[in-house]
Amino acid sequence: MLSEIGSIFTGLALVVTLYAAFAAFWAIRQNDSRWEQSARNGAYAATGLLALALFALLAAFLNDQFQIRYVAQHSNRTLPLYLKISSLWAGQEGSLLLWSFLQALFAALVVARPSERARPLVPWATVFLSLITAFFTAVTLFLSSPFTQLPTAPLDGQGLNPLLRHPGMIFHPPILYLGYVGLAVPFAFALAALITRRVKDWPPAVRRWTLAAWFFLGLGILLGMRWAYDVLGWGGYWGWDPVENAGLLPWLTATALLHSAVMQEQRGGFRWWNLLLTVFSFVLVLFGTFTTRSGLIQSVHAFARSDLGLYFLAVIGLALLGPLALMMNRRSILADPRPVGGLLSRDGMFFLTLILFLTLTGSVLIGSVLPTITQALTDQSFEAGPAWFDRVTGPQFGALVLVMGVCPLLGRAADSLRRLQKRGILPLLGAVVVTVIAALAGFTKPISLIGFAVIGLAGTTTLAEYGRDAIARSRRRGENLLQALWHLFGRNRRRYGGYLVHTGVLLIALGVVGTRMYPLEAERVLSSGEPVTVGEYTLIYEELRQEPADDHLSTWASVAVYRDETHLTTLQPQIDQYMNFEQTVSVPALRATLKEDLYLVLAGWDVGGTTATFKVLVNSLASFLWLGGLILIAGGAVALWPAARAARLPAPEARRRAIGTAVGLVVGFLALIAAGVAMWGPGHGTTTPSTGRLLPGQPAPNFTLDMLDSSNLIFSELDGRVVVLNFWTTWCAPCEDELPDLQTVWDEYRDQNVAFVGIAVQEESDEVQEMISRLGVAYPQGMDPEEQIAAAYGITGVPETFIIDSRGQLAYAHVGPVSAEELREELNTLLEAK
Amino acid sequence: MQGKGTFLVAGLLILAAVIYLIVSSTGSTAHYFLTVEELQTTENDVVGRNITVSGAVLGDSIIYDSSVPRVTFTVVQVPGDPEEVERAGGLAKVLHTAVNDPTAPRLEVVYDDVKPDLLQNEAQAIMRGQLGDDGRFYADEVLLKCPTRYEEDVPDQTGG
Repeated sequence: MLSEIGSIFTGLALVVTLYAAFAAFWAIRQNDSRWEQSARNGAYAATGLLALALFALLAAFLNDQFQIRYVAQHSNRTLPLYLKISSLWAGQEGSLLLWSFLQALFAALVVARPSERARPLVPWATVFLSLITAFFTAVTLFLSSPFTQLPTAPLDGQGLNPLLRHPGMIFHPPILYLGYVGLAVPFAFALAALITRRVKDWPPAVRRWTLAAWFFLGLGILLGMRWAYDVLGWGGYWGWDPVENAGLLPWLTATALLHSAVMQEQRGGFRWWNLLLTVFSFVLVLFGTFTTRSGLIQSVHAFARSDLGLYFLAVIGLALLGPLALMMNRRSILADPRPVGGLLSRDGMFFLTLILFLTLTGSVLIGSVLPTITQALTDQSFEAGPAWFDRVTGPQFGALVLVMGVCPLLGRAADSLRRLQKRGILPLLGAVVVTVIAALAGFTKPISLIGFAVIGLAGTTTLAEYGRDAIARSRRRGENLLQALWHLFGRNRRRYGGYLVHTGVLLIALGVVGTRMYPLEAERVLSSGEPVTVGEYTLIYEELRQEPADDHLSTWASVAVYRDETHLTTLQPQIDQYMNFEQTVSVPALRATLKEDLYLVLAGWDVGGTTATFKVLVNSLASFLWLGGLILIAGGAVALWPAARAARLPAPEARRRAIGTAVGLVVGFLALIAAGVAMWGPGHGTTTPSTGRLLPGQPAPNFTLDMLDSSNLIFSELDGRVVVLNFWTTWCAPCEDELPDLQTVWDEYRDQNVAFVGIAVQEESDEVQEMISRLGVAYPQGMDPEEQIAAAYGITGVPETFIIDSRGQLAYAHVGPVSAEELREELNTLLEAK
Repeated sequence: MQGKGTFLVAGLLILAAVIYLIVSSTGSTAHYFLTVEELQTTENDVVGRNITVSGAVLGDSIIYDSSVPRVTFTVVQVPGDPEEVERAGGLAKVLHTAVNDPTAPRLEVVYDDVKPDLLQNEAQAIMRGQLGDDGRFYADEVLLKCPTRYEEDVPDQTGG
């Protein structure tokens, strides 16, 4: 039933969008605004119908309608509500329906309240936006319908892939789609501008749409990066996979477009650039969708191969060649109206920026399809791995950052050099300072130092822009610096939002240089209680625990982390084994600091859990990626924020606006913080016990022990003897098992200057007495009722055994039951060493 | 228009530099993209070179020694050309046929790393690494996908 309803709504939506395209076209032909109104209504209706189709699919998910194939493939009865909702876009069919809806929604929003500048372009833009919506709706309906039914309904669905059960993955796809559909808006307006020959000021008319699309695309990419880092357990965040590249490519061209649009708005130039970049951005969106569904590119991301490829290829051809032909036809009105400045001017720097963005886009594109290209050219197929991409794009990204640093120092052509001399000293100083700090922090590879210098230069330039403007304003208006800065942001959100984005990019660049150029990765097999050193860290594997959940078995290891003999934290990497997926999901544990992340993945363990294998990564400067990402997003939000027009409005209206702005700011700020905490918050899988464990070589803490026979034992008085300390309780079965072994070894070594001391933690003396009598344990036993001694030795459970050498230093620690052989071995080593 | 001339020169210089980067990187860091069969027929030329090879994972062959850690497994020939895969009935079918065909070319893979989450029978493995003198493939990196069950956007990447 829901299946038919969904299909009918989608079908009606297709008819209505096609009608809207026709009505808008007819409005132009007849010059009749009634047709235009009708087209607008069509756009609204299509949005509503696609929303209803989405609701039908949602209802199918919520009601476990497994006769619908898509539901059966992506949900099951036990799936929690929020995941049933996100399953809507867990596969190709649902994604396309969501995409169609968002495309229709954007079209409706565009035609609803166009700005004065956009108005003359709206009819043609409606035609193209409706056609684009119709294309996606038709693909959803005819080629990849989420409403297809199975011949027989299964009793339960297959469930959602466990890897997708992460906040980053729930929000990543729809946010990315918002970016994709958003880029259709400037595309439609560019075509409209070409057709109507109003090529002069169309970019400002759609600036907010371009910016919004860029914003969502960037956010989607960042969420995907964080998901990869958090969930996939390979320690990285960007693998240059073709599907990652598919998101990056339109983001690169959209970023370039935002820059060239500024130039057209400010001085009327760069018309070719704006049209080309708009077309490229939209075509790259289609190309990304096409490649991930066509099998053209070998990708781990790839959706199942489907027949969509050919249709997409046809539409890509149309979307690329049509506008190019139109541009050639209109070339007379696309020429720059004014002469450009020299290369060392703002014009020149913007030009270099655009060129670099284009070559970057081209490089990533070539890398993504390298096997296909080289096969055609040389009959031998080459594939580009991360090393290829790093080598090819690294210098280009570096050059872009350099241009970012130099551009604000330059003015218009004539006085550029003088300006550069005057303003260039501070940034050079900044470059030196950042490089020196990096070198002192241990980052000394020459190429990375070049990177730090360039980042330092651009960072100082950017900060200097804020600083200079704020100082100037505070002098002029008598405001303090913070007030001045706040007002500057309020008055020119685009400019300062832009600088904020630049700041974010620079921080991300720091993170990229650190993580890419200083990788530290090791696999280690850790035995319980034995310290192992990786880089600057000492790791002690303590124990393994297992706990069954609904549909999976969780296993996690506790690993204490030390640096310079100080306990930092205890990490708990985890593996979830999903039975019905025959799949395991590693949940890495993370200790994030500004300088580096310690990233721990549990990789395996032996049957008893006495040894476990870990993958250990130290990711330098990784926190800067997420910090920079947040700042970039914040900068985008500032630039998107509507400019204050309070001055022109009547007072009550202005007050209402001001309150709205303030409320919006607070909500936006809180949302940003929430997103930050959710995504980039403190590393997960960390626990911090009050004290750390005692490390071998450290002096054993002294204590006074109340013995069972009512005497007192002062630990320091045992000086000169080897001491075996065993922490235990009467209720712990492994303790009971090991006590006879300890007794045996004591019997063997008691004459060799070795003392054994049992410490019963949190116990009643009667029970302790009863148990040692029963087991025939005769070596001295004492009580630690308040866990003071246990805390001093940093034990995390019972039993634990420590051997202290004759100088009073810890020689050996063992977590869990110890065997007689292990004790003998350690004692022999110690006694021989004497 | 003196400005335009310098712009053109600067643009061409950047373009030339990028083309140089692409060509030189393709020579030095790009991997030969081969199928199992191609790898075995051209074995002698490619020992020690960077190679990317893809194949179907044979589930019974997976041996994981977590104490090294090292995974060894065998992959079976699947066609490299997507169209050929499509003609044979789609990736899932091709992978299924491959692992059940005792005559298809096979390749033993050694991967000194933690066992990837998605390494299982009939998964498609894309491996980057080198062919050793012993005829085994030493992978630096293994990418996996399991098309039978997950059609969605699920990568699994293990850095190498």
